[in-house]
Parts: sequence; C-alpha cells; structure tokens
Amino acid sequence: MHIPDNYLSPQTCAVMTAAVVPAWIVSVNKIKKELPPKKVAMMGVGAAFSFLGMMFNIPLPGGTTGHAVGGTLIALLLGPYASCISVSVALLLQALIFGDGGILSFGANCFNMAFVLPFVGYAVAHVISPHFGTNKKRDLVAAGAGSYIGINAAAFCAAVEFGIQPMLFRDSAGNALYCPYGLNVSIPSMMAGHLTIFGLAEVVFTVAILAFVMKAAPGFFSEKKEEAGVSLSLKVLLGALIVATPLGLIAEGTAWGEWGTDEIAETGAGYTPRGMADGFSLQSLLPDYSLKGLPDWTAYILSAVIGVAVLIIVFRLIGAVLGRREETETV
Amino acid sequence: MTDRILRLISGIIDNDTRYRKDSKVLPVLRMLVSILAIILCACSSNAIFVITVLAVELMHLAFLPTHSMTRVLKRLPLPVIFTMIIMLPAVFLGNPRTMLTVTMKVLVSILILAIMNEDLSWKEITGSFSQLHLPDVFTMTLDMTVRFLTILSRLCQTIHEAYILRAVSVHRQDKSRMQAAGGILGTVFLKSSRMSEETTEAMECRCFNGTYRNFTRHKLSVYDILYACIIPLMIVFFIIT
Repeated sequence: MHIPDNYLSPQTCAVMTAAVVPAWIVSVNKIKKELPPKKVAMMGVGAAFSFLGMMFNIPLPGGTTGHAVGGTLIALLLGPYASCISVSVALLLQALIFGDGGILSFGANCFNMAFVLPFVGYAVAHVISPHFGTNKKRDLVAAGAGSYIGINAAAFCAAVEFGIQPMLFRDSAGNALYCPYGLNVSIPSMMAGHLTIFGLAEVVFTVAILAFVMKAAPGFFSEKKEEAGVSLSLKVLLGALIVATPLGLIAEGTAWGEWGTDEIAETGAGYTPRGMADGFSLQSLLPDYSLKGLPDWTAYILSAVIGVAVLIIVFRLIGAVLGRREETETV
Repeated sequence: MTDRILRLISGIIDNDTRYRKDSKVLPVLRMLVSILAIILCACSSNAIFVITVLAVELMHLAFLPTHSMTRVLKRLPLPVIFTMIIMLPAVFLGNPRTMLTVTMKVLVSILILAIMNEDLSWKEITGSFSQLHLPDVFTMTLDMTVRFLTILSRLCQTIHEAYILRAVSVHRQDKSRMQAAGGILGTVFLKSSRMSEETTEAMECRCFNGTYRNFTRHKLSVYDILYACIIPLMIVFFIIT
C-alpha cells in the first residue's frame, strides 16, 4: 500500500499532506499530555513491529504482493495517537532510507496507513470490546475485526487516491499524467487483495502479536511506569521477526500500484505516463531493502536491523526529552 | 568550544565516578573486537562491511540505558559534520559516494568507540592495555595525560580570566600580550611540575611503581566465547566483501 512517487500528482500530494498534518499535531499534543515518557519509548518498539510487518511481502495470485501494517496493533497497545506517530515515523524511515514509498507521496501514505488505519481499527475494536484489556478472547476478536476493517479502509482510501488521478490530470493527448488506472480498476484491484489475503495477514499479524504480548509481557498494559519496558520476550520476538524478514522475498511480483517506471507500461496501461517518466526521484541508501554485492536475504535482514534500531533510538530519545520536561515542570 | 573539548575528555574518566557494573565480556576481548572493527571499516573498499557494522552498533545502541545512549549520540554530530565539510570537494569533483562512504566510516568508528566507552570503565580499559602487554609507560602516560589535560586546561582558563579582569580599561600592546601569555603558560608549567611531584609522592605512598596490574578475576563465560567468535567471523566477512 506504499504509494511511490509520481503516482499521485503534486497537487494531490499537497492536499493529502495538508489533511494529515492536523492529525499529527493533535496526536503529538495528546501524546505529550497523556502518555508517560516510558510508554513514549515503547512507541519505538511499536514502530519497529509495524516496520517489520511492512517488510513481509505476501503474494496474491496474479503476480501482485501486499503486506500487513500493524497500525491497529499499536493503537490497541499504546493508543491511536501513538500509533499515528509510530507508523508515520516508520513510513518516513522506509521512504528516506529504503525507498519504499515516495517522498512527495509521504503525506498520502501517512493519511492512509498512519491515520485512517489505526483510528478506524481502534474504533471498531472498542465498539466490539468497550473495556479492552478485561476479557482476553473478546479482546482478540475485537483486535482481529478492527485490524481487518482498518486495513481495508486504508486500502480503499489509497484506491480512491489512485483512481482519481486519470480523471483530474491528463495531457493534451488524453493520456493520464500520473496513475493511469481509474476508479473502476483501482478500487477492485486494491480491495480484492486486501479483502482477502492482505486483510487476513493483518488480522494474523495483529492477533498473534497481541496474544503474545498479553501472555509474555502483561506489563505492557500496565499503567505503572516501572512495569512498562522492553521485556526479554519482546526482544526475542523482535529478533525472530527480523530473522524471518527474508521470507518476504519469496513473494515475487510487485504490489498493485507500486510498479517502477519501467514496469507500468507492461501492466496493461500501454504507455508510461509523462508525470512518472519525468517526475521526482530520490536515490536512497538501501533501495528496496537491497545492497549491491550482498545476497538479497542478507540485505533484507540488515535493513530490518537498521530500521528497528533507528526507530527504537528515536522514540527513546523523545521519551527521554519528555521525561526531563516532566521533571522540570514538577520541580 | 574549549569547554566542549574539555567536557569530552573529562567525560572519559568522569563516568567512572558513577556506580558501574563490571563488563559481562572480558574487557580486553571487547577492546580487541572494537579496534579490529574500526581497522577493518577503514580498510574496506566498499560500503557493505561498514553498513553491516553500523547495523550491529545501532542495535547495540538502541538497547543501552537512555543516559548512555544520549551521551553516545551527543558525540556523533561534530565529527560527522566536520568530515562532511572536509569531503565536500569530492561532491564537486563528481564523486558524492566517496563523501558518503568516508563520512559513514567516521560515523561507525566514533560510534564503536563511544559505545565501548559506555560499556567499559576507564579502569577496565587501562587494565586491558596491560593484558595486551603494551608498555606500562604508555598506559601511564595516557592515563596521566587524560587526567591532567582537563585539570591544567581549567587552571589555564582560570588564570587567563583573572588576567583579563585585571586588564580591563588598561591598554596593552601586542608585546605585553605575548609576555602575559608567556606568564600564564609559565605559571601553568610550574604548577604542573609541582602537581606531578605531588602525584609521584601519592603514587609511592600507595605502592604504585608505574606497573599496571589487572586484579579483577573475570570468569570466562558463554559471552566471552561468543565474543571471541566474532573476531574470525568479522575477518572472514571482510575478506568475502
């Protein structure tokens, strides 16, 4: 669901960024007021899980692939506002360092995966289980339902963003300047995968990790600052997920809407839209999680390690700064 | 700027005043792995080895205590920015990758050393030098230099401030400024020689004859064996890449 650069027009990117900025501002303010500093550090772990989930590509018949996001999982563990910021930071890291998702389309990606997905997922989960954390079975069902509906809501938004491009932006010859597929193609293509396999992947990812955390690290849900922390079991789980990331390489094919400029003509469009051919591009450090000279599986694990480490460091620093501010205000 | 450098140097020893647990890994092994990693990073001709070491060190940094992590991160920006500025001509000459590779190597080297400084106390580091059979005079010179650099620099600053306060509204010519500088340095030199005599007497009172001995009884554990395996693995990986 990562929208690359040049699939959306600069105008669309600007509108989507403007739409997600208020969500960021509100989320940051809510986190400063409501989340204890130690839980802010845990946002890094949440972001790391989301990052790893997005590295596991799952194949769909027809040659396309997709992935889980984990936004609902973080929303249920730390709150929807924390999830918004965690997933946004994970997406930023992916865009800048790994070239997964565009820079100009960062706002659109955050709107879909960091705003729509966690908030919708959280709301649905809390409708099913209003007192989340009291009944394990009901909580897991609620988490599964929330994550499924959340990811499909996000996929629908992405499909609409793709689909309106040919309607609004055409050249003098009538060819689309950006994404060449209208709503009649983008919505069925995106939703088919997410209503079936990718939605199921999101449910499995969310429920499995939530169940593990409930069993192995119940302190995660604790309101007490001392009990919240990265337990050994969480570290082991992160390590296992990092080692397992090369499984995402088994899935061949590119996700719908994430083709390269050289691939788009062969997908059925018959031409490469001018906005894509002449558009913005950024050379990232580890494009597509690969490194020239290293086998793909090694580069994948390396990318996972770097991504997880950077996310944990960033959020622990933010937690430390907020903790110091709290102490100063108390004094 | 001088204050920052003094804080950086004094930070090497100041950390020891706080309570610190002994390193789980044999300190000499820890130091050898760090030095080997730095040397191999510097010698590598491409980015693969450097990025691999960077990934490992970032993961190590992510799980350090927060105050240690903050201290390590504070040491990174200045050398990295300085290196980028020095290597900027490479960009203009059409080799931006060179600037990135060299900057990354500097970043990784500083990261390795800073994390090692957090993991090992100054006592463990100097103890490791003696286990590596480095001449004791080298270890003692390094130890004394680090300790006295901060003490004498602060003394120099204090005398300089006192001189400036006394020189307010008094017009001095360049020649007298040079004489004043000579006076300050001379005073610091005399003070330092007196301090070194006092240090020698204090060391003799404590039966220290310049020989650094390691009295810690470190029992070999699984961590040491795993750490020792890193050395051949690193060399093989370096050769392969």
